[in-house]
Amino acid sequence: MSTTTPAVVLSGITKRFPGVVANSDVHLSVQVGEVHALCGENGAGKSTLMKILYGMQQPDEGTIEVAGEQVRFRTPADAIKAGIGMVHQHFMLADNLTVQENVVLGAESLHGIGGKARKRILELADATGLTVDPGVLVERLGVADRQRVEILKVLYRGAKVIILDEPTAVLVPQEVDELFATLRGMKEQGFTFLFISHKLDEVRAIADSVTIIRRGTTVGTADPKAVSSRQLAEMMVGSELPSPETRESTVTDRVVLKVENLGLVAAEGTRPVLDDIDLVVRAGEIVGIAGVEGNGQTELVETIMGMRKAHHGRVLLGDRDLTRLGTLARREAGIGYIPEDRHRQGLLLTQPLWANRILGHQTRRPVSNGQWLDLAGAKQDTKRIVEDFDVRTPGIDVAAVALSGGNQQKLVVGRELSGDPVLLIASHPTRGVDVGAQALIWDEIRNARARGLAVLLISADLDELIGLSDTIRVMLRGRLVADADPATVTPEDLGSAMTGATSAEQASESEGE
Amino acid sequence: MNPSEAPSTVPPPRKARRIPGWAVGALGVAGAVVLLSTTSYLTDVPQLTSTGTIQTAVRLALPILLAALGGLWAERAGVVNIGLEGMMIMGTWGAAWAGYQWGPWAALVAAAVFGALGGLLHAIATVTFGVNHIVSGVAINLLGAGLTKYLSTLIFFPLSNNPRESPAVPKFDTYSASGLSDWLGELEAQQRVGLSDVAGILRGLVTGVSPLTMLAILLVIGSYLVLWRTRFGLRLRSCGENPVAAESLGVNVYWYKYVAVIGSGALAGIGGAALVLNPGQPGYLEGQTNGRGFIGLAAMIFGNWRPGGLLGGAALFGYADGLQLRSGGKTFLALIYGAVLLLVVIVIWQLVRRRWFAAAFGILAAGLLYAVYYSVDEVPSELTTYAPHLVTLIVLAVASQRLRMPAADGVVYRRG
Repeated sequence: MSTTTPAVVLSGITKRFPGVVANSDVHLSVQVGEVHALCGENGAGKSTLMKILYGMQQPDEGTIEVAGEQVRFRTPADAIKAGIGMVHQHFMLADNLTVQENVVLGAESLHGIGGKARKRILELADATGLTVDPGVLVERLGVADRQRVEILKVLYRGAKVIILDEPTAVLVPQEVDELFATLRGMKEQGFTFLFISHKLDEVRAIADSVTIIRRGTTVGTADPKAVSSRQLAEMMVGSELPSPETRESTVTDRVVLKVENLGLVAAEGTRPVLDDIDLVVRAGEIVGIAGVEGNGQTELVETIMGMRKAHHGRVLLGDRDLTRLGTLARREAGIGYIPEDRHRQGLLLTQPLWANRILGHQTRRPVSNGQWLDLAGAKQDTKRIVEDFDVRTPGIDVAAVALSGGNQQKLVVGRELSGDPVLLIASHPTRGVDVGAQALIWDEIRNARARGLAVLLISADLDELIGLSDTIRVMLRGRLVADADPATVTPEDLGSAMTGATSAEQASESEGE
Repeated sequence: MNPSEAPSTVPPPRKARRIPGWAVGALGVAGAVVLLSTTSYLTDVPQLTSTGTIQTAVRLALPILLAALGGLWAERAGVVNIGLEGMMIMGTWGAAWAGYQWGPWAALVAAAVFGALGGLLHAIATVTFGVNHIVSGVAINLLGAGLTKYLSTLIFFPLSNNPRESPAVPKFDTYSASGLSDWLGELEAQQRVGLSDVAGILRGLVTGVSPLTMLAILLVIGSYLVLWRTRFGLRLRSCGENPVAAESLGVNVYWYKYVAVIGSGALAGIGGAALVLNPGQPGYLEGQTNGRGFIGLAAMIFGNWRPGGLLGGAALFGYADGLQLRSGGKTFLALIYGAVLLLVVIVIWQLVRRRWFAAAFGILAAGLLYAVYYSVDEVPSELTTYAPHLVTLIVLAVASQRLRMPAADGVVYRRG
């Protein structure tokens, strides 16, 4: 294997979907035996590009070369034959089948499904750090082991080039370290990795080279050891990087949300998911919660909303104790909630927009008069949202699924800002939306803040957090561990605080209330 | 309780003990025999374990067993097959139509083909067109009943002068292990506690065995081997667990679902043939299946979507059916007594495990049943007819707590 021939070369790849260009003129060259990171924002076209390389989609233009030879992949099976494997972000495993069954499925012709396959799996398991018996059901495995099974599946099929699609999204920091150790070990053995991520600190920790993709096209390749996260981030977002400008503060003294000593335990005998959370959000203030996903942010929001039952502690809205109230009562008390997954929690995708306007407001004007729904009022108010929030839709009778992600999200934001809430909980409000919708949603949140709304913002996008928040609290393993001042903090500092490697000047004890 | 499906990083705790499946089965069989012989001794009703009862039970368990196997194939591939009943009805008609002309083996083949046609229809609706599995299944049940009514009026009426009945269908010859059977017969006649009961049960299993019974047992074993020990079976089961993952690994999910559902229909059809070829019946009769397709589905659920388990379920339901058919109310009452004994054992077990609520509930149920046993001399025949259905209800209510169905069972899968 000559090191001068790259493992994979993509040149001039263009892929159009109806109405959008997902990739245009993408160039990517991956050397043998390196970890090559592909960085870009959500929606920048990373996933489409990898689907093309894995044969799940065909490019409209451009060529793919593997080990110096030009190839055309019609199905993933073609890509597998050429030695390319993919570990999907959402695990493709059947829980009720054993590890061995999951690994050999679809590749039974290699070593059968019996003892020989088992032997081969045990040989390969070492490289991935998987220690469980292949006869164990996958449902008994933790997330990190499931990911190892996914890598094992790819190895079993003889892949030399492995695509990892956001592999760290579901892992806690220690597991991320273990994964990186595994990757380094496999790299020594000659495997090549394409590592897709938008987490810059991780990219800098593992990658040998980085290619940045922005709005569907590659904007350059860099050596992650030589550039800073800030430079990478600017390459990722171009000139759009929201700068934490000095804005006049609208923060008042009036406390709107007060969370006292809140605790939540997921299962008996495990580490608490939320551990003594104390939090205050004042009128006109945006409090941002920073943290690696899976450190309790989702649970915090769902506990404040009453979707989970706290084990101890109190939630107060103004002077009112919400702790024992249900979710609807909390919404009626004046909480708006932008959920983190609009498809699962925010919208009924098959229902028209005006029906979606009613959700969560079914007891309140203008969509309801006492016991009966006011459909005319709902439609009227949906029209208002469509106009005010620039929801691009042919009408209010179309199903929500027909809208693009950004327009769906604008509808959700419009709905949650209806009915004069006093508190808005925004969970990843601009995740997976286009830049235009992002700017509009930011503006609406800022305007509402200026009118005196209290906002609790949870986001994985550090620039969004820094740009919008008046105060930033860092969450780690279910605790609020540090505060940061958005006027001075940099994404790097915030990133290290989020992983627990807190730099001294940023870490201060939780402010006493 | 918690809405978020965020994957937990903590692996669920391992089960403390793991007993292999065959051991559970053997224990279950032994427990059932002990329970029956105790009941038969205490109530002085020897019919509970007599050769005749067991023979009838086997005959009646066959259709249920085959329907359950059909359910297993479909549901392991992720298609809920509530249309088993309709496919079974089509099987009964096909068996009668081919059977009266060309004999029992032809009946078997025709029944499988007719059932498979029903399966094909279900597959087209659910797999290709993405129709809700329950809706399609109910439609097939209605269609099966209607179609056979029409066909039997058209074809059987001129021959049998009865639109609801076919001409008599020749049956299979039956086989007995004669030496063993006679010896067991002597043992049974001695009326010794326990021993005679076991002898009666064994004699019922080896006397007058139809080739259909042997075929059904082979099909159970074969289904296990195919589904769990071959590449084909692994792929088929992967379609019921996570079709998206299966497709991403190059498994043609649609094709496997088609094969499974058509096979499911064929098995249900053979189940219908088992009814028509039952020596107690002249041939096809309208309404002959009487919900046995559904009971088969229940037996499969009771068996936790496993071949060995559904064999146990079918045996249980067949036994309840055979007992009521053969000996009527008095023996059925003895079975209630047996249920009281079983509950007592369960209550003691719950007390040992300090599960007070379950124990209290068990005591209450046992007391109620015993009151019934004490106060009536004979269960009214209107009630005993529904014995298998009653047993189905009770067993499912109790057993469905800890079952594990295929993860993507009943989920409409769209490619891409």
